[in-house]
Amino acid sequence: MTTELKSVLLIGGAGFLGLHLIEQFSKLSPGTSIHVFDVRPLPEKLSTYFTFDPSSIKFHQGDLTSEKDVSDAIIESQCQVIVHSASPMHGLPQEIYEKVNIKGTQNLIKIAKQHSSIVKALVYTSSAGVIFNGQNIKNADESWPYPEVHMDGYNETKAIAETAVMEANSPELLTVCLRPAGIFGPGDRQLVPGLRASAKLGQSKYQLGDNNNLFDWTYVGNVADSHVLAAQKILDPNYADKIGGETFFITNDAPTYFWTLARTVWKADGYIDKYYIKLSRPLGIVLGYLSEAFSNLAGKEPGITPFRVKVVCAHRYHNISKAKSILGYTPNVDLETGIKYTLDWMNETN
Amino acid sequence: MSKKLVELLTHPTELQAAIQFFYFKQPLHIPVPGSENLQRCYYILNQTSRSFVAVIQELHPELRDVIMIFYLVLRALDTIEDDMTLDPSIKIPLLREFDSKLDLKDWTFDGSGPNEKDRIVLVEFDKVLTEYHLLKPQYQEVIKDITYKMGNGMADYILDDNFNLNGLATIKDYDLYCHYVAGLVGEGLTKLMVLAKFSDKSLVEDNFQKSNSMGLFLQKTNIIRDYHEDLEDGRSFWPKEVWGKYTDKLPSFHEDTSPESEIQGLNCISDLVLNALSHAKEVLEFLSLVKDPSTFSFCAIPQVMAVATLAEVYNNPAVFHSNVKIRRGTTCSLILQCRNFPGVVNIFRKYIQNINHKSSVKDPNYLKIGIKCGEIEQFCETLYPDLKSLPKGVTPASTDITKSLESRKSIDQSMQRRMDQESYNLNISLLIILSIATGILYKFVF
Repeated sequence: MTTELKSVLLIGGAGFLGLHLIEQFSKLSPGTSIHVFDVRPLPEKLSTYFTFDPSSIKFHQGDLTSEKDVSDAIIESQCQVIVHSASPMHGLPQEIYEKVNIKGTQNLIKIAKQHSSIVKALVYTSSAGVIFNGQNIKNADESWPYPEVHMDGYNETKAIAETAVMEANSPELLTVCLRPAGIFGPGDRQLVPGLRASAKLGQSKYQLGDNNNLFDWTYVGNVADSHVLAAQKILDPNYADKIGGETFFITNDAPTYFWTLARTVWKADGYIDKYYIKLSRPLGIVLGYLSEAFSNLAGKEPGITPFRVKVVCAHRYHNISKAKSILGYTPNVDLETGIKYTLDWMNETN
Repeated sequence: MSKKLVELLTHPTELQAAIQFFYFKQPLHIPVPGSENLQRCYYILNQTSRSFVAVIQELHPELRDVIMIFYLVLRALDTIEDDMTLDPSIKIPLLREFDSKLDLKDWTFDGSGPNEKDRIVLVEFDKVLTEYHLLKPQYQEVIKDITYKMGNGMADYILDDNFNLNGLATIKDYDLYCHYVAGLVGEGLTKLMVLAKFSDKSLVEDNFQKSNSMGLFLQKTNIIRDYHEDLEDGRSFWPKEVWGKYTDKLPSFHEDTSPESEIQGLNCISDLVLNALSHAKEVLEFLSLVKDPSTFSFCAIPQVMAVATLAEVYNNPAVFHSNVKIRRGTTCSLILQCRNFPGVVNIFRKYIQNINHKSSVKDPNYLKIGIKCGEIEQFCETLYPDLKSLPKGVTPASTDITKSLESRKSIDQSMQRRMDQESYNLNISLLIILSIATGILYKFVF
């Protein structure tokens, strides 16, 4: 029997994933009162994609690293479950990652434990990137370890935060980490917009590698669904110990060849190339070194780097049997529909 | 003939496979001649099926004659169904009651048209009956049951005016038609294999879902490939629910040679290939549960040929104007490689990647094809994980299918040794021949 989820606090609820969390919680868990905690307010104008009523959302502005701000939000919201999806974008200074991902998460755990009469569980949005460092990830499940050296500062701080969340799991505060891979959808500032930009630069006719490498992309609404499921089920005594202290990969359960995904976006955007210039992985890496060397001389950002070539040519897909069997997760929006929603949103906002 | 020779010479690895296939492949079981009547049955089999006879002859003695008789009974049924000279008043009851003929001792039928190539099966059906009655009763029962279901299915289709006039309408109709002509055979063979304890009994406990997929994967591949041949015979089995998305009239892919029409036709093939690939996972699951090596080869050969054919017809406009086939050398190499489960999985992976590489961005099913190929590749990875990519200390999760792979490991390994020995023998022989040739040449020159 599920304990009814009366109130949820969405940390980072004004962000890319955050807005989708509001959307999916209001759709799938209508009896739950939704509270948002974020440094920035909810956007004044929402995309037509979203159907929730902003006036029904209680907003708490605050800093995740402030004990008082977090404590106040917990008391005001009386939330049984905290969903922590606040995370800075890629490509920012390391201090920001350390502040939000590590210090913010540690602060949140500490304060949540102080309010154990209110808060029963914490759902943390981690990242599939915590196990990746440029090597092949073929059908990885949750038993795969962190790499010895992380891919970048972002993923390193995500892994540290994830470890803190896992270690905090206790009967008083159940914790779970969800690890989405390649999130895209309306509000996305990276994956699909990045592809659109590269097509504008005429890069769509190039192919690095043999296009045998499979990638996971995940539609943001599906990622939000997995959070709703986790928040609901973790309160259910039958599931509590199956979910508490566990990690789950979340994907669209449809690993697809890297260039097939890219070209699908380009096609939907009106770019279809008659032919492709195929560069093998070794050649790409050599070009990467050259590009890096010349860019250093010219003092510019390199177009391609050896590392980026390796990332684009690597396999990177996951086995999500665990999320399917324990959380009851299924990706409801398929990749094609997800890409359509994303491009529609981009056209609407630009 | 010369074309085949050129093909082989331009594909040296296939030439090697052909030599290995014809001169070095060791049969798993050597058939004993048996009675004169039994020999006659094998003679009839040889007359009606050139492609099947070799694999049937190599089967384990427990099932060899059973499957041979099953094949001839179905061939007889098919000959009646195919015969346009037979009056429906004879044909329909004959199909519906054909299973009861199996109770008789000396029934024969010589009413087939003179051009029916396999009429011999019916003319000499008493010989088939004699052997049928010598089979174990449980095997007879399976053959009879499938004969009953198939005969009635055939009769229903003959009487179905809508089908005869307009062909198959929906994908559901397509699946059902393929079930009658191929899925049922899969069901019967599976029952026989499980009775003989050559296959895991779970295969008869899934409502024949997997065995049906075995039949549908083969039949759908043939239906796609045979577009032109069937068109010439004035029939077609492509379902309208699919082709209707790409054309108003199915023959247009052949008749209208404009580039636009060709693109629509190729998109239609892609849609059908996507549909056929939906059975691939269950085909692999099925094969993983077949243990006896001779039965395994018998089941695997048609499936690996099918996946190779799917890759061949995919995005291939020749389908609209000719009979597309895979090369003979390819066939030899497939038969040699598919003798154990890892070999089959490798073949599937190879052709799935082939399909991925042949896909066209313009195809409306471009992403769907990519996702389907990815799904099958992920499944193959679950079966045989790439150990190089596996981090230290991680053992792949144990699932039903990995457990069953573990239990068949020794069988697969012993087949692998056999396969390696053959190619070793072949290479040594080639080396000797090459050395002698070089020696002669050397003597000549100096």
